[in-house]
Amino acid sequence: MAAARLIGRRFLQLAVVLLLVTFFTFSLVRLLPGDPAKTIIPFGTEQQRAQLNQDLGLDKPFLQQYVNYLGVPIIRSDGTSGLLQGNLGRLYATNQPVTDSLKQSLPISLQLVLYAQVLALVIAIPLGVLAAYRSGTRTDRTINTTAFAFLAIPNFVLALVLSYFVGARLQWLPTAGYQPGWLDPLFDSSRSSTIFSGWSNNHIRYMILPVITLAVGQVAIYMRLLRSDMIATLQENFITMAKAKGVPNRRILFRHALRPSSLTLLTVAGLNIGTLIGGAIVVEVIFGIPGMGTQIGTAIFAREYVELQSYILVIAFIFVMINFIVDFLYIVLDPRIRRARATA
Amino acid sequence: MGALAATGAIVAGSLLAIAAPAGAQKTGGDVRFGLEAETTGGYCIPKAQLVVSGIQVAAAVYDTLTMPNTKDEYVANLAESVTPNSTFDEWTIKLRPGIKFHNGEALNAAAVKQNMDAWKTGRLFQFVYSNMGDVTVVDDLTLKVTTKTPWPAFPGYLYLQGRAGIVAPAQLANADTCATNLIGTGPFKLNSPGDWKLNESLTVVKNPNYWKKDAKGNALPCLDKITFVPVPDSPTRDTQLQGGQLDIMHTSSASSIDGLKSTSGIDLVYDVKGNRETRYYQINASKPPFNDPKARQALGYALNPKEINTIRNKGLFTVASQTMDSNSPGYLKSSGYPKYNLKKAKQLASEVKAANGGSFDVTFLTTNDSDNAAEGQLLIEQANAAGMNAKLVQVDQSSLVNELLGGNFSVTLVRNFHSDAAFGDVANYVWWAKGSPVNFSKFDDPNVQAALDAGRTSTDPAALTKAYTDFNKAMAAGVYVVPAWYSIWALASKGLTGQGGAPLPDGSKALVLNGRFPVETLCKK
Amino acid sequence: MPAQPPDDMPADGPEGARDLDRYAEDSLESGLAVAQGSLYFSAVEVGGEGQKRRGRKLGIGAWLAIGWMVFIVLFSVLAQLGVLPLKSPTESFASCARLGPFAKEGTAPGHILGCDSNGRDMIARLAYGGWSSLFVATGAVLFGLIFGGVLGMLAGFFGGKVDVVLTSLFNVFLAIPAVVLALALVAFLQGASSSSGSGGTTVDAKFLLILAIGIVSVPLLGRITRASALTWSQREFVLAARAQGAKPMRIMIREVLPNVVPAMMSIALLAIAIAIVAEGTLSILGVGVKPPTPSWGNIIGLDRGKIKESPHIVFLPALLIFLTVLSLNFLGDVVRARLDVRESAV
Repeated sequence: MAAARLIGRRFLQLAVVLLLVTFFTFSLVRLLPGDPAKTIIPFGTEQQRAQLNQDLGLDKPFLQQYVNYLGVPIIRSDGTSGLLQGNLGRLYATNQPVTDSLKQSLPISLQLVLYAQVLALVIAIPLGVLAAYRSGTRTDRTINTTAFAFLAIPNFVLALVLSYFVGARLQWLPTAGYQPGWLDPLFDSSRSSTIFSGWSNNHIRYMILPVITLAVGQVAIYMRLLRSDMIATLQENFITMAKAKGVPNRRILFRHALRPSSLTLLTVAGLNIGTLIGGAIVVEVIFGIPGMGTQIGTAIFAREYVELQSYILVIAFIFVMINFIVDFLYIVLDPRIRRARATA
Repeated sequence: MGALAATGAIVAGSLLAIAAPAGAQKTGGDVRFGLEAETTGGYCIPKAQLVVSGIQVAAAVYDTLTMPNTKDEYVANLAESVTPNSTFDEWTIKLRPGIKFHNGEALNAAAVKQNMDAWKTGRLFQFVYSNMGDVTVVDDLTLKVTTKTPWPAFPGYLYLQGRAGIVAPAQLANADTCATNLIGTGPFKLNSPGDWKLNESLTVVKNPNYWKKDAKGNALPCLDKITFVPVPDSPTRDTQLQGGQLDIMHTSSASSIDGLKSTSGIDLVYDVKGNRETRYYQINASKPPFNDPKARQALGYALNPKEINTIRNKGLFTVASQTMDSNSPGYLKSSGYPKYNLKKAKQLASEVKAANGGSFDVTFLTTNDSDNAAEGQLLIEQANAAGMNAKLVQVDQSSLVNELLGGNFSVTLVRNFHSDAAFGDVANYVWWAKGSPVNFSKFDDPNVQAALDAGRTSTDPAALTKAYTDFNKAMAAGVYVVPAWYSIWALASKGLTGQGGAPLPDGSKALVLNGRFPVETLCKK
Repeated sequence: MPAQPPDDMPADGPEGARDLDRYAEDSLESGLAVAQGSLYFSAVEVGGEGQKRRGRKLGIGAWLAIGWMVFIVLFSVLAQLGVLPLKSPTESFASCARLGPFAKEGTAPGHILGCDSNGRDMIARLAYGGWSSLFVATGAVLFGLIFGGVLGMLAGFFGGKVDVVLTSLFNVFLAIPAVVLALALVAFLQGASSSSGSGGTTVDAKFLLILAIGIVSVPLLGRITRASALTWSQREFVLAARAQGAKPMRIMIREVLPNVVPAMMSIALLAIAIAIVAEGTLSILGVGVKPPTPSWGNIIGLDRGKIKESPHIVFLPALLIFLTVLSLNFLGDVVRARLDVRESAV
């Protein structure tokens, strides 16, 4: 019961936050001073500008524009479509729907972030467990200090270091470019995966350096959180009991001690998607990967404000949804939280 | 500096050498072609604003009605003939029969008329073709075009440095997809609009029905597929060519050309010396402070292109003395532009300041590319050294045109083509004529205008030379630009042959102008 | 909201884990993400060393960090004041372009660390660039501390509707990844300030950056302040003051604020580190400090393409950023431990 109420409340909060985010992104573009039509076609006639304003719906009152932008049925203006109809607007320059470029760039960034997340966890979990187990020893200090140092390396610095040494000097891996992977064909059927093609133009080959770049900072975060979480767990009674019963160390660490920490790790990994998406922007730009980050960079200089607005919205939407799902899983998976919430 | 000048001289030779013996070449194969930039504005030709990387893609997909040859003539290409009347104000264009667009539509007079009518409404094309009158369809393969003045240069406008490709009616018909659904008559075709992934790649495949043949009569194109890949960062592009991620690429970066030249296994060809693009700094003469000729002179004396060329291009490019290159009618050994002289610059700048209440503000406008940013900073430094107060503004390539059209700048960094050997008109009129919106300097100089008008209508070579000599002198006297250097486009490839292009229909050899390299004859070695 | 005073917490386990626990609960309670920045804060903070160092002498690491910060701040501030015998950061020497240690074309006599691709002295660029980076980062964090601090205090102290409104507002901003938000804000602010027709921004780009990074940091710092204020507002002495009928504003400023400030100060050092990275990121994306004025970020951004032939141009500022961020993280950790601000951590 309590869980249901809690989940219901979360849904409401989700809706409110999403609505506010759309209002924010909508306002950003509308708050630009001056006549957007003048920015778009500086050399058009008055008539052309008026037409453009009408096409963009800029001649309507502010709130009506917002309703049209959302595409709320019934109260939107006739013949318009908005976010609810999947209309993210069109580019000024080519009149292409923003969804076209999104279809291309979204899977690229999703794969990048996903790989980085998985890689970071795969490295961080054993290190975190080891550091917690050897807490206070030289091993622990070495791992911890290294992690502390890695935490201070900005993404762009690591990207440049890797692209210089591994890419430009050793010439092991490409320093720029992209080949489609397994997710791209799902968004755009005209692309085919290169995961099983030759190595020289293989998806994986192009992704190695960017993924390592993004993952390193996360390894440090996950490792340190897991370590302190596990140190706490290792002092709990049930661990002492298991030790007394003669359960092997490895089993205690990975079966008994890691399990309670995995929920925390799940939450943190979910919340951390935001950092990854942010980090992915500069990594994509440095490694010439045509994902959402590169697209945002291009949009800024091309003054494609509608495109920019839509990309921010999509990123915020993904981020909010992931948090919601993590939150949801947390409530469902951990009975303690349900109880705590119910009594609160 | 001697290094590139010397290689420039080999250019014609090397192109010939590659074109002549077609010994060990294989038909078929895929290549990846590295481009300097993505054409974000798309390829709806009449509306597009193609720069060299876009023109290079257009060269694969579209054909133009005429093409320039190495004898500095424009000869019929997709057209069978282009014939003027005796007063050069009515042109009869006959089309080659039996040619089809990639989608099966026939190339006929109606289709070409549709293109020309669209040119007259295009964003930039409307100014380029403002001298064009009515276009009438005479019969299925013939059309007549009238021009408002006698216009001997009209055949040059049917090429327009490779920008005037003929587009299928189906592409023009849909305004929403015109920019992305490329349909032409060229050697390669786009299978579906989805084969263009913005900022990633544009893949074209062999057009099996291509109408041109190579010198031996073999069908063209030779390759099965070309994937154009935008790699804006020039060192990365070089690395990718060396590492095999690219098979061929173009570049106009001096340090890149310098590096590739010394790399074994890489073949380089260049566009033609004497018809190079020119780098110059264009001054907006319509706004203070540069509506004052003294201020323009001050800038002319303050900037030091030779030093900028040394720093940014390792001194490899030839410093320019005027807007046009040496193979153009009217080129002058000594043009009369102000030459770097800090003392004079300071003197003039202080006079301008005195007249303007103590301020002399300069805004350098350029694109967001890092080389341009660095060059812009050198300009700021030199302007400030003369006592001006300069700053840099950077925008995206496509927004740059908007800013220029809107006149929101005081000086901009331009690389443009003004060196058409056959007709000065094609490469000059629209850029410098009074009232033309792409005359970004927005000046109204009767001497320049008179020279341009004389150049536009004259058919006598001596009169043509005289007209552009006058034009050059008037430009120099007005200091509407500060010429910097002539830049070279190079095509670098690995394991490929056939960079010379197919012979033109009249048997003459095509001229590689302004970085538009032919792709139909490219073949794997 | 079950805001337990920290004293009631079970005594087992190091407080790092407790902080994390509370932070996780807090994030769930508010329904949405505690975003990227706070996570970074907690990762930096929950290291085990903190508690061991408390009350002890500073270790060698701390002295090194302090030494580096003193050096880099003096280096850039004195350069900016014109006291140091440096070359101009905007003067080009053609003979020195691209040259430097490890450069393909060789070293540059007279320029110890070489020059950038325009032939400008690297030492001068780094010194003046340091000023830009530190100025922007410090300014942005001050902005965030002032606005985030005030809003967080109000939310934490008054609770109720004020809290709900402010927390929702924070959450909307936190729903957009920080880098994306900063990028969007700078782009829109620049767009807004340039459309006046002159073609360029009329406001110094540094202030736009301070504003953009500052706005992004408001919800992050606001949430932290809120958590801290919430805790202190329920302490006995505050409740006692309330019972005596003191004005809420007075209690807030006299009783709660002084206790919240130490927590904010330790967070400030970490926040400056994050802001330095943010400036670098924005500059590399082309919307940072406007050239020719150098910043560590835009030195990298401008000559990123020259990394192969002149690696020193890119790696020198990268090294300075790394050492500065490392030192600030370290000092933030030390300060947190010394001020014993465990109660108010995230």
